[in-house]
Amino acid sequence: MSYDFIKSRLHLYAVLQNIEDLVQYDEEAKKLIKDWNVVIKFSVKGSGNVYLIFENGKCTVTDSSEKKPDIVLFFTSPAHLNKMFDGKANPIPLKGITKLGFLTKEFPKLTERLEYYLKPDDQKLKDSRFVTINTVMTLNTALFALKELLLFDPIGKHIAKKIKGSMVMMNVDKGPAVYIEQKNNGFQVHKGYHEQPLAVLQFKSMKIANDFLNGKMDAFSAIASGAVATKGHIEWLDAVSPVLDRIALYLA
Amino acid sequence: MKLEAKGATQSSAAKIKSKTYTYSNSHKLFQRALKVIPCGIPGHFSPAPFVPPTMYPFYADRAKGSRFWDVDGNEFIDYMCAYGPMVLGYNNPKIEAAASQQRQKGDCMTAPGKVMVELAEMLTSTIAGADWAFFAKNGGDTTNLAIMIARAATGRKKIVMIKGGYHGVAPWMQGYGHYGVIEEDIANIIGIEWNNVQQFEEAIAANPDGIAGFIATPYHHPTFADSEFPATGYWQRIRELCTKHGIVLIIDDVRCGFRLDMRGSGAYFGFKPDLACYCKAIANGYPISALVGIDALRTVAAKVFYTGSYWYQAVPMAAALATLKELKRINGPVLMNKIGKKLFDGMVKICGQYGYDLKVTGAYSMPYVRITNDPSNMLHQEWCAECTARGAYFTSHHNWFVSAAHTEKDIQKTWNIVDDVCKLLKKKYGEKY
Repeated sequence: MSYDFIKSRLHLYAVLQNIEDLVQYDEEAKKLIKDWNVVIKFSVKGSGNVYLIFENGKCTVTDSSEKKPDIVLFFTSPAHLNKMFDGKANPIPLKGITKLGFLTKEFPKLTERLEYYLKPDDQKLKDSRFVTINTVMTLNTALFALKELLLFDPIGKHIAKKIKGSMVMMNVDKGPAVYIEQKNNGFQVHKGYHEQPLAVLQFKSMKIANDFLNGKMDAFSAIASGAVATKGHIEWLDAVSPVLDRIALYLA
Repeated sequence: MKLEAKGATQSSAAKIKSKTYTYSNSHKLFQRALKVIPCGIPGHFSPAPFVPPTMYPFYADRAKGSRFWDVDGNEFIDYMCAYGPMVLGYNNPKIEAAASQQRQKGDCMTAPGKVMVELAEMLTSTIAGADWAFFAKNGGDTTNLAIMIARAATGRKKIVMIKGGYHGVAPWMQGYGHYGVIEEDIANIIGIEWNNVQQFEEAIAANPDGIAGFIATPYHHPTFADSEFPATGYWQRIRELCTKHGIVLIIDDVRCGFRLDMRGSGAYFGFKPDLACYCKAIANGYPISALVGIDALRTVAAKVFYTGSYWYQAVPMAAALATLKELKRINGPVLMNKIGKKLFDGMVKICGQYGYDLKVTGAYSMPYVRITNDPSNMLHQEWCAECTARGAYFTSHHNWFVSAAHTEKDIQKTWNIVDDVCKLLKKKYGEKY
């Protein structure tokens, strides 16, 4: 699989899903989408499709939808999508021409909020609210990206063979959680807690999770010092650790 | 004194007697270490696999016999034995005397000591089928040399090894995806399942005249998984295939060596390897490893250039010579398995009285031990941590080690701790497990 293909999968399935949390945690985004009732489809030739379903003040991001999209944003290739995420290209609206106003004015306000939270800097990280939202998003992005890498990245695919039947949950103590499980020759990611996780990586606080997930803390030191707790099938955590580190190769 | 593991029947009504240790000095030292050593304690001594690390000591202060004391003054019955090297007890007087005597004469010198020849003679007269010995420092030095010799002898590239097998830390020994390992490092490694002769046959068929060596441990003892003995006839069939196809048969006896059989683990399982790697138990903690081989590979072994600054140190060689003599005298492998059997049979009984299934796999001298009640392993991890924090040092991810220095007193104390911890967990979880 090409670099652009894998990167596009991460954009589609790991980055865009953050809009679900954005509109839940960020007041500005919540206000913005309050009255939206629209289904937007991202269609990337040679990569995949993602639907953003806005209704009742919530957003659901999914790879399939019973509802027909109101707007279809088409990308001619994985590279095309990646360029859009870099701000160097625009999608081709195949459907929803009549909603051009929404696409050019309203929707970009939401993506700007997403970008704001996905790009932390020292100033932003002084704000505990920002830390919370950024951490939730980074945590979710990590596991959704992990799924794609285990399916398509050369090292990820190699590691995937070694973690059959695995189930790994990452969470912040008394905070957000997300888990990935290997099922039916594939991987599924779920936001929230699993009742009986088989492997757990738990961060002591949002700040620690943020530092850890943004590469400011090495795993061994964090675990040994108790800032990060692991338990259960820690061999799976060990196995996926290098794959998680590869996210930065695509999304940095 | 005749000991019997009574556990719950004896003391279920009693309160939990043992207190847990604290590790403030260990943790302070670790914080200092983090500033000057990557991840504080790198490698297999890293506390990261302990669950939770905060219930384990990070630094040792001293050791004697079967026990060690950490920097907080806590005393532990050591069931890791420095991850294998300690076999006759820490600071064993006989070994220390031999080492001291050699130290007074010389250690790291410009030429090897006479003791190197004596040690090689000892190894070749002890290990079945060994015609020569080559010395290095770590087990990984010898597994790597074995591969080089196999390639030099056959003119082939491919090496067959067992998935999940551990042979050291050189890139080819680690899996693709491990940090610092590139695809090319493992391009000539073929991984097959343990106890699967058919996969070996398929590998041979897929690589005609391409396989230089087959390397495996005498029995399968991976981390994070139960140990597995060879199936009946497994090694004999592997031997036949290696001989038929001109493949060098290498056993990595680094962990099992002298804990199963003084003649080497090949003899224990009834086959003759071409090369065998030793370390761990060979010198009771002194840094030395050895590769032994058959006469047919002597010339090639001589041609492979392989050396290190400290590989000719005479003190570890003197310690190894004394260790092997002592192990022979007491029949160390038999003794360690006898001690281990008594210890683990008792522990299984105690755990069973609380409804906990303690599974012991591999040799009693170095078994993999786990409570099977919880599929996530969390109960087992908690059990290990609680036992450790009461003075019986158990790891949850690696096989344990028993030494010839473990005493009946150690066994009884361990049983008491196990009983206390089972009681604690039962109280905490009730019938959940």
